[in-house]
Amino acid sequence: MAEVQLINLTKRFGRRVLAVDHIHLTVKDREFLVLLGPSGCGKTTTLRMIAGLEEVSEGTILIDGEDVTYLPPRARNVSMVFQNYAVWPHMTVYENIAYPLRLKKVPRDEIDRRVKEVAELTKIAELLDRYPSQLSGGQQQRVALARAIAVKPKVFLMDEPLSNLDAKLRVHMRTELKAIHHQTQATTIFVTHDQSEAMSMADRIVVMREGRIEQVGTPEEVYEKSANMFVASFIGLPPTNFFYTEVRRENDALKLVHPYFTLTLSPEQAARLKDYTKSRLVLGVRPENLLLTTEDQALFSVEAMVVEPQGSHQIIAFQMDDQIVKIVAPAYPKVWPGERIHVTFRPERIRFFDPETQQAVGDEA
Amino acid sequence: MMDPKIQYRLRKAARQMLLYLVVLTITLVIMTPVYFITVLSFLTTREAYEYPLPLYPTFTIRMKMERGKRGYLLSVWDRNEQAYVSVLDTDDADKMRVYMETYLGLKPSNEQVTEVMQKVDATGGQPVYFAWRRHILSNYATFFRVTRDAVPALIRSLQIAALTIAISLSIGGAAGYAFARYRFYGKNALKFSVLFVRMFPGVAIAIPMVIILARIGLYDRPAGLSLLYSVGVIGMTVWITASIFMAIPVSLEEAAMVFGATRLQAFLRITLPLAFPGLAAAAMYAFIGAWNETVAAIILTEFNPTFSVVVYQTLLGATGQVNLTAAGGMAMALPAVVFTFFIRRYIHQMWGGVTV
Ligand SMILES: Nc1ncnc2c1ncn2[C@@H]1O[C@H](COP(=O)(O)OP(=O)(O)OP(=O)(O)O)[C@@H](O)[C@H]1O
Ligand SMILES: [Mg+2]
Repeated sequence: MAEVQLINLTKRFGRRVLAVDHIHLTVKDREFLVLLGPSGCGKTTTLRMIAGLEEVSEGTILIDGEDVTYLPPRARNVSMVFQNYAVWPHMTVYENIAYPLRLKKVPRDEIDRRVKEVAELTKIAELLDRYPSQLSGGQQQRVALARAIAVKPKVFLMDEPLSNLDAKLRVHMRTELKAIHHQTQATTIFVTHDQSEAMSMADRIVVMREGRIEQVGTPEEVYEKSANMFVASFIGLPPTNFFYTEVRRENDALKLVHPYFTLTLSPEQAARLKDYTKSRLVLGVRPENLLLTTEDQALFSVEAMVVEPQGSHQIIAFQMDDQIVKIVAPAYPKVWPGERIHVTFRPERIRFFDPETQQAVGDEA
Repeated sequence: MMDPKIQYRLRKAARQMLLYLVVLTITLVIMTPVYFITVLSFLTTREAYEYPLPLYPTFTIRMKMERGKRGYLLSVWDRNEQAYVSVLDTDDADKMRVYMETYLGLKPSNEQVTEVMQKVDATGGQPVYFAWRRHILSNYATFFRVTRDAVPALIRSLQIAALTIAISLSIGGAAGYAFARYRFYGKNALKFSVLFVRMFPGVAIAIPMVIILARIGLYDRPAGLSLLYSVGVIGMTVWITASIFMAIPVSLEEAAMVFGATRLQAFLRITLPLAFPGLAAAAMYAFIGAWNETVAAIILTEFNPTFSVVVYQTLLGATGQVNLTAAGGMAMALPAVVFTFFIRRYIHQMWGGVTV
């Protein structure tokens, strides 16, 4: 159906705010792409530029190879689900879905057919005669969705469409959205700052920060092969633990020295880091890759500070100097605050970062 | 110690009572003038000058006629005195008829009056008691009869009000939309300055306006007056419409544009209908401003007065009768009331009582 290309895309608000900073991105045909990032990183602005609602300061937007940078929104054949739904309050659900089709001069009986079809798909068939004010938030959400699907766009833009729903409905709508995407096969750009939403829905995730793209990759890639310390700490809950170490090179062996422990790297890891010449290195270890073990196997031993039971697992926090480190451990055996715990790393899951550039180092090519 | 539950209930009842008392007082204060002008508009001229003013009009006039010094003595039942009060002693039937017409709101023919006089003669000077009904709307009929140009003036006033609504809503509404949707340099100063004109008394603006309107040939013409009223009303219209448009999320328009509407289509099909209740309120404001204005209209009209000027004129001169003025005032309020109710009904019917 459609490929979206952003070339050098930039948006400035006034002279000071650089909301989107020269980004390059290609959204593949039929892809479900998620824009993820903290509040104010430019996700909405990017989406609005693609929709044509925000003037582009610099750069180009191509849809299917056609330059649409300066086309009005109506000429771009995109459809959008707004963060606040933006269903029209003075129109019934039916009219809300039908109006865009009427604007596109779709024949009357075809309109009727399509409205019924998308209403079926989004499970609002029995609400067609109601006004939006007579609907719940989740139902309005689905009207916005139905309206966006009905026009059969080349590109679907969704701006945090699930942010106003309660936790249960949100999870339910994720599944529905994925099913709808599977059915319509429309290229979709989905904005969220909820990483579990991103992880569960995306074909690829684009992690943004302060108007720039930090990493593009599948959910597994951004989680397991985070390109830098920002991504590693932004993705995953609790976030990646960082340990600042001194590098000691002895013959071919590499030792990382931390006030609490000294870690000897495996030969493969050492080989991957052979081009790294700086004296300091950051170890990034995800909470589930910190393991509880016996005293003789432990890399270091500390006192558990806080324990949060989560049912299926427990989160154990402990302190290392002024840094809080978190472990995700199985629910049993139970750990109590104040208890002495013995910790080691899952060696093959450790990541390395350059403390100066914050970029990952030592990845296999 | 009293049961805390009872104490609580008592306090709640007391609070409620206080609330009702306040509401009642406010209602009374607001409604008293309305009540009196309504009653006044139905009183006979005689009653209108009684003190204290009667609380309700009478439509059956009780009278007594007997032999008088000059001819026949007419007495009228006075509610305050609880007695017949002599009002006229004459032997001229036509003079008596005119009195009845002017002061009692009756419309007898000379023959009817003569008939009563003959009865007095037949009884040998004994008093004859009789009661005649007058028409409920006699004051209204009289008002329109004595003020010959009331009907054309009414039409003129309607024209002026309609034109004022059209001018102030189209210009003020456009400005309000711009204030709500666009950021531009000097917006705040401009927003303040549109209210500035309201701070001058109407007369102060009307007098220079006479000169201007005369120059452009609009003196004593409805268009001229509506231009003046629009100037006064637009400030408020801008503020009202700006706040309405601000309350309508931009994303509703943006959604329409993404889904294929032009900017104009989005405005006409989405924003305008949503703004309608507020625009109606602004229209109401403009209507009332134009409809009731008198001072400037007196200055700016000569041969083509507005309805309010005609009503005002009934107070002037030897023919000045407050009950006729009241009837005219009521006649004037009627279109405003109808217009208000019509718009209210319409607003309530929209979208199943939904407001944005
Ligand atoms: N109209 C505007 N005028 C000035 N600055 C703006 C405007 N719109 C957005 N910005 C700024 O641009 C930056 C990016 O905003 P944007 O709305 O794209 O963030 P976002 O990633 O969508 O955030 P959120 O997750 O909170 O919705 C922010 O710093 C914001 O303050
Ligand atoms: Mg946003």
